[in-house]
Amino acid sequence: MSLVQQSNASNSSGGGSGNLYDVLELILDRGLVIDAFIRVSLVGIEILKIDVRVVVASVDTYLRFAEACNRLDLESGRKAPAQLTDIVGDTMESGAKGKSKGALTGAVEAFTDSFQSGRDDSDDDKEKEKRPARKTSASSSSRRTAQRREE
Amino acid sequence: MPTYIYAITAADHPLRLDGLSGVGEPAADLRTVKTRDLGAVVSDTPADLRAKRRDLVAHQSVLERLMADGAALPMRFGLVGPDDEQVRAALDQGKDSYTARLAELDGRLEYNLKVSREEESLLREILTQSAEARRLSEYTRENPGAQNEKMALGELVSQEIQARQEAMAKDVAQTLASAAERVSEGEPTKTHFLNVSFLVRRDEAAAFSQAVHEEAERRGEDYAFSLNGPLPPYSFV
Repeated sequence: MSLVQQSNASNSSGGGSGNLYDVLELILDRGLVIDAFIRVSLVGIEILKIDVRVVVASVDTYLRFAEACNRLDLESGRKAPAQLTDIVGDTMESGAKGKSKGALTGAVEAFTDSFQSGRDDSDDDKEKEKRPARKTSASSSSRRTAQRREE
Repeated sequence: MPTYIYAITAADHPLRLDGLSGVGEPAADLRTVKTRDLGAVVSDTPADLRAKRRDLVAHQSVLERLMADGAALPMRFGLVGPDDEQVRAALDQGKDSYTARLAELDGRLEYNLKVSREEESLLREILTQSAEARRLSEYTRENPGAQNEKMALGELVSQEIQARQEAMAKDVAQTLASAAERVSEGEPTKTHFLNVSFLVRRDEAAAFSQAVHEEAERRGEDYAFSLNGPLPPYSFV
């Protein structure tokens, strides 16, 4: 289980950045407006309003998923598919704890979390090949697009 | 000078603003605008106001303070009226609606929950359960040049991911809805298949939080739950 609970009350004066980031969309996109009044320009803010469905249904994404599946197949060898889950569990538990598990998590994050992409550059994880780099440029360009739309 | 508006409250809200300051650099002084029935927390609007980090924190901090002392309608960041007089006029004009919403939200808080699942665990599940995905994956691994099959695999997996994420999102939201009063679904993000806000009674907050813990535990370690709150009820105004 993984649960992170942020209590804002304790955080409001210092303003933990993770916390603020998590509620950014609420502060910027929800909340009450008065019709006759205006909103200040939000130029410079990255509102990450990418339509997730469009991102998922793209050639790039298809290829990425296909390659990820190929890799999973390799890792699990020729074992029966029904046992896949067990094998993963074993690998993750018996592997050298810090390093291999960290690498696995890092790679997954590079696929799924565009906000983390910058941090992965220092990882010398050979298995990742060029994937994170490509991901980074793809996501930052779509972020720029989103930003332009806001302007 | 234009008037920046933070929140609308009932006239009897204490509006305890000591130690807080408004948006802008240097920070604007906070003040209140009152009518017979309602109050608003406002400040001058800095000339070059942007949604900078410190401004967002200032906005959020005011709302959190107000929330601690009673019901308040949080304004969206960056809302600006022409002057205090017109804010007062807007309060009068919207009096019935604002008063009703304040009553609805009295003693209630927002909790925002985002849930993600490790992509790899989802891919494994799909490969395990879909014979076609398995077949295509094996084929393309052995024939790396088979672009059509690769695309077919990617498309199939992508559809499976979407369907499964939607089902998971619905399932988690429904499970937790019973512990909350209202639910407001936000857009999923690239990372999170579920992004949802709950309106929870203050005296039921502990039980709600417990329900989220239990759901996170039930889902297991492939899932990451991120619960934020209590928050001003941004999603329920």
